[in-house]
Amino acid sequence: MDFTSSSSSSLTFTDFLDRMRHPASVDLVRSIKSFIVSFSFHSANSENDSKRLQDFLLAMETTIKDHPLWAGASWEEIDNAIEGLEKYVMTKLFSRTFACSPEDAKSDQEISEKIFLLQHFVRPEHLDIPAVYQNESAWLIAEKELQKINAFKAPREKLLCILNCCRVINNLLLNVSISTNHVPAGADDFLPVLIYITIKANPPQLHSNLKFIQLFRQQSKVISEAAYYLTNLISVESFINGLDANSLSMDANEFQEKMQAARLAKAAQVAPRNISTPRDPQPVYCDKEIHMGGRHYPFMEAEAGKLTVEDVHKLLSVYKDVVNKYSVLCQAVRGLSLNKEKLPVALRGDLCDCILEHPRADCNPAEQDVVEVEGTKEKEKETVSAGLL
Amino acid sequence: MGCSSSLPDRNNGRLGVLSSENSGVADSKNLRVKLVLLGDSGVGKSCIVLRFVRGQFDPTSKVTVGASFLSQTIALQDSTTIKFEIWDTAGQERYAALAPLYYRGAAVAVVVYDITSPDSFNKAQYWVKELQKHGSPDIVMALVGNKADLQNNREVPVQDAVEYAEKNGMFFIETSAKTADNINELFEEIAKRLPRVSSS
Ligand SMILES: Nc1nc2c(ncn2[C@@H]2O[C@H](COP(=O)(O)OP(=O)(O)O)[C@@H](O)[C@H]2O)c(=O)[nH]1
Ligand SMILES: [Mg+2]
Repeated sequence: MDFTSSSSSSLTFTDFLDRMRHPASVDLVRSIKSFIVSFSFHSANSENDSKRLQDFLLAMETTIKDHPLWAGASWEEIDNAIEGLEKYVMTKLFSRTFACSPEDAKSDQEISEKIFLLQHFVRPEHLDIPAVYQNESAWLIAEKELQKINAFKAPREKLLCILNCCRVINNLLLNVSISTNHVPAGADDFLPVLIYITIKANPPQLHSNLKFIQLFRQQSKVISEAAYYLTNLISVESFINGLDANSLSMDANEFQEKMQAARLAKAAQVAPRNISTPRDPQPVYCDKEIHMGGRHYPFMEAEAGKLTVEDVHKLLSVYKDVVNKYSVLCQAVRGLSLNKEKLPVALRGDLCDCILEHPRADCNPAEQDVVEVEGTKEKEKETVSAGLL
Repeated sequence: MGCSSSLPDRNNGRLGVLSSENSGVADSKNLRVKLVLLGDSGVGKSCIVLRFVRGQFDPTSKVTVGASFLSQTIALQDSTTIKFEIWDTAGQERYAALAPLYYRGAAVAVVVYDITSPDSFNKAQYWVKELQKHGSPDIVMALVGNKADLQNNREVPVQDAVEYAEKNGMFFIETSAKTADNINELFEEIAKRLPRVSSS
């Protein structure tokens, strides 16, 4: 499958920006800017925002097709312009449109935590994945593709991460079917492997990413193969959310026990030496770990040289926990007034200051397409003036 | 085991102008049709599709990697083409609740059972009911009794399936992916039943 075929291979985002810098496209630039600015007049609402974006892309497609700068342009060139436009606009509107409601943040956290527990004990056999498909190196590549999803802000690129992951799985299944002379694998084989890989990968903000792609990828591109594989990951999300004792090839009691053990292991990982007990109601500083709001953050005084591999595992899980909470907090703060005095008391303090000073801290540094319309550097200011906060 | 055997001979065309409202039509001459496959594991869904996709047109046309999503375009006599985009679904019980995500927006649902397995026929009826409840109202449904080559092991009488299909307003055909019997006829008949373009 050639997922990139829908968007030109040789043309790039830079080509799009170059065209936009051309004096003849000043009218287009104006519509784009006013479209972005227009969002500041409405409060964030994913359904409405999605509709506005989709309508805008359609309208712009017509405009571009008739535009002198694209006179005689090939289908690829027009397509590249729309792709560039989608990427440009969605990068600008990212913090408004991605994981923008507390419900989304909650769904992200819930599935991530559930996957974290499942990772402790779910094996391929529990999903009846035949041994012939158990190929650690291929699976690792597929996992990595999924985990890349937050390295991009553009819906197309996020979708590509999913499609790449699915392609790796399909290649594996195809090779196995060739070497064993079996019927090429269908959904019966594909879906369980995708579920397993998703559990292994625990991709960041899975729910929000899926929602974002569905709402903000131009609709004419969410068809055929892309739609099929996106639907598969959506159904994986649904499967994992509903996953209970009956969903796996595993004794129901054993499942409950394993889940319980995983919960305990998780608690122990975060607070290896101090599981708080009722007798210890107000832990503040204790054994060099910081306890905040009932959560435990070990290693605050640790020295790098003395960490064991085991410690690194723990650190990683603490780190993930902190990042999750930080993201949720950022989301919550963004929804509030920027007037510090009006923030809930619980949010005042160092962390709060830090968020207010870095209003775009949620933006992923990995995505650094410096978008310069009209050749001017307007990045941050423009984003803020467009009312994205 | 592979799906094996002789290439079916195919004759295209003979069909009128067709369209479909809910499947993402490309344009009035080139239609895209989303078709979802439902049925127990092992009834032969993959073999039917592979037979359809590989057994016709030029054999050099590259088959998409993976058999869970496949597409095949058929040309009709009036130079209309229909591109069937075939969505496979996982047949295992534990995934049954996910099926609506797949048949949402489908123009066609092909429900397959194995004529040697009454269980699979029951399961097919379950899917028909689900589609009637949750599928789009104008979805074209086909009931397919596969493995018709295994006449000696037949356990689902033709008459039962014919009556069930009639009662539920769907079309019924027995196929063999092994011998290629009725495979093309299945898709041609589906093409005929797609909602027609309301000429404007
Ligand atoms: N005899 C016979 N065997 C078939 C036929 N179609 C499929 N099979 C066999 O049934 C098994 C399952 O087929 P498959 O297409 O994988 O079923 P699926 O799980 O529904 O996709 C395979 O071993 C096929 O070779 C058929 O028409 N006749
Ligand atoms: Mg199959």
